[in-house]
Amino acid sequence: MLWIALELPSLPLQIAERAGASREPLVISEGTVQRPLVACPNEAARRAGIHEGQSVAAAKALAGDLRVLPRDENVERETIERLAAWAGQFTPMVSVDGQGIVLEIEASLKLFEGHAKLTGAIQRGVREIGLHAALGIAPTALAARLFARAEARGLQVRACVAPADLRQRLADLPLFLLDWPGKTLAHLADLGVLRLRDMLELPAEGIAKRFGPEIVASLDRLMGKLPDPREPYAPPPRFRSRIELPAEADGVEALLFPLRRLLAEFEGAMRARGSGVQRLELALDHGRRSRTRVMLDFSSPEREADFILAIAREKLGRLTLAAPTLALGLRAEALLAYVPREATWLPGARELALDRERLLERLAARLGKDRVFGIAIADDHRPENGVRYAFSQAAAKNAQLAQVQRKSVPDTIFAQRPTWLLHRPQRLIAQEGNPSYQGALELIAGPERIEAGWWDGDEVSRDYYVAANPRGETFWIYREHRGAQAWYMHGVFA
Amino acid sequence: MKATVAELTQLPGVWRGGELDQVPRGVVSTGHAALDRELPGGGWPTGTLSEVLHDAVGIGEIGFLAGAIARATQGDPDRMVAWVNPPHLPYAPSLAHAGIPLARCLVLRPANKEDALWAAEQALRSGACGAVLLWLAHDEYAWLRRLQMAAQAGRSMAVLFRSTAAERLSTPAHLRVILEREGGVLKLRIPKRRGPPLTAPIALDIGGRTASRRISPHWAAQKTVHRAVA
Repeated sequence: MLWIALELPSLPLQIAERAGASREPLVISEGTVQRPLVACPNEAARRAGIHEGQSVAAAKALAGDLRVLPRDENVERETIERLAAWAGQFTPMVSVDGQGIVLEIEASLKLFEGHAKLTGAIQRGVREIGLHAALGIAPTALAARLFARAEARGLQVRACVAPADLRQRLADLPLFLLDWPGKTLAHLADLGVLRLRDMLELPAEGIAKRFGPEIVASLDRLMGKLPDPREPYAPPPRFRSRIELPAEADGVEALLFPLRRLLAEFEGAMRARGSGVQRLELALDHGRRSRTRVMLDFSSPEREADFILAIAREKLGRLTLAAPTLALGLRAEALLAYVPREATWLPGARELALDRERLLERLAARLGKDRVFGIAIADDHRPENGVRYAFSQAAAKNAQLAQVQRKSVPDTIFAQRPTWLLHRPQRLIAQEGNPSYQGALELIAGPERIEAGWWDGDEVSRDYYVAANPRGETFWIYREHRGAQAWYMHGVFA
Repeated sequence: MKATVAELTQLPGVWRGGELDQVPRGVVSTGHAALDRELPGGGWPTGTLSEVLHDAVGIGEIGFLAGAIARATQGDPDRMVAWVNPPHLPYAPSLAHAGIPLARCLVLRPANKEDALWAAEQALRSGACGAVLLWLAHDEYAWLRRLQMAAQAGRSMAVLFRSTAAERLSTPAHLRVILEREGGVLKLRIPKRRGPPLTAPIALDIGGRTASRRISPHWAAQKTVHRAVA
């Protein structure tokens, strides 16, 4: 067994600064309402002389513009759980453990080509999410956590992969890194037992007698003498995440960076489940309960952060926000099975079909769904009916009509049809009954009567002609068969 | 090292201004032998921006290119034809008759010129479109240059339709064609190509309609030629 532990030092501050470090001094407070204490000061606050354990009142005296955020343990737990869901892409054996997670990676080593590449991938991934984690690797879960904590405190530790090295690598670590009760640690310190080296040399019976059998069991688990089974974390079948912005964001451009971090987290969680989504909800919080919702819809389940970000950029670019944004939320409710795409060296039919779908989605996202369409031959004689279809619908319709239409309609009819159809017939000026458009129109072919629609109340009764004006421009015009018998232009032979 | 001009012209991609560039590039036949002869490489260029300038409408400005458009979408696999901001609606029966595959026609009607340029660039760059036909209310050289780059990246045949007023403006396109209708035939001039400009216009027979018989509407209305009652 090989374990990797991720420890998130000063987690409350990391959550507050996930979308970017704030330049103003900021502290997270904890403790009673009457006398709140500084839990984690940020970089700017440290420079102002603020340190952990100080009272907030004293900290405010040091920095006048200090921002104080209360610690929220629910948010911390959720963040760690989301990190666990994200880490599920590396191994299914992920469990939440205090202020961090542990991963059992023995079975994943081959896939990720060794622990060095795997730890590299994990560290890169955590940075992309916008968190900072210390990482420990060891043959037991407890030892991995110990290494991670030691690293979080700036101690020099080396990765330990072989169980034989474990004792020696652990020897120099201080005891206070362990989750033992404070009383026990104080007692041991009084005895001069400060490091694991000293602890491991003490006889087990004596320790059990003095400090209780749990301490011995904990040491045995640390050294791999006792099994240490962990319950794998089962993420909920949905995705919800939220990120606070370091400062009010006026434009949309400023939202893309935090959105990237949310999407990286989303992609990892989806990879872990083998899922994708067809609908993502992006919520822009403006404070005072006002919120802008942006829906991202995809034609097939998607999860790639880069692609979704590109779509979101187009969607957001069309938005005018009434108020500055304070926080960004990402939600997905229905998780669907994701079909991974093959990556081939030479692009083939599948890749091009993918390009096509992605192009259509990008276009529809920015231009609007009704401004991107396909065309097909309609089974209606009225030219203006059934000319626009959704692109995929048009393809299906054309395939279906291809056989029927070709046989039943003589090709000469198609030859009599214009390249352009006007969106709405344009009334022509007629002189002595002869139509004109930039000169008198000469009728070249026709008439062809189209009389249809009497059954659905949208009746047309027209005589169509091909007509040309003196400039050589050729049009498709018609005269109403009934009523005013006015002339209209309906198409252009381009 | 000295190289003579004769040696230099042997290099790939180098041609004399006075000759037609015959270096193999992506071209598709237009289906008109007279036109193909005058085009460098023997066909309409793909993977680049070209311009068709015309003032009159309904003179066969799409029809003369139908063959090239249809061929540009063929291949393995088939690619799309994008109609970006066309002046009217492309009408399916006529396109089917001209051999343009309907199932692969994509019509884009952007709300403003920024969207139109963006959509054109996306369609060109994606590689999913074999041909992109453009009608843009935008003449900026820098933007046309961008479209030219996008067409190269996506190996797409980009055709920009503009008015003849643009003839005075310089263009990043490698081919510029001017269409006019004279006496019932389509006349084509090529002021810019990879080679010397074509001074004498070429006449194209695009199956155009000549006024061989004049129909009087008063008389014609009496007679029903095709009664389509479904």
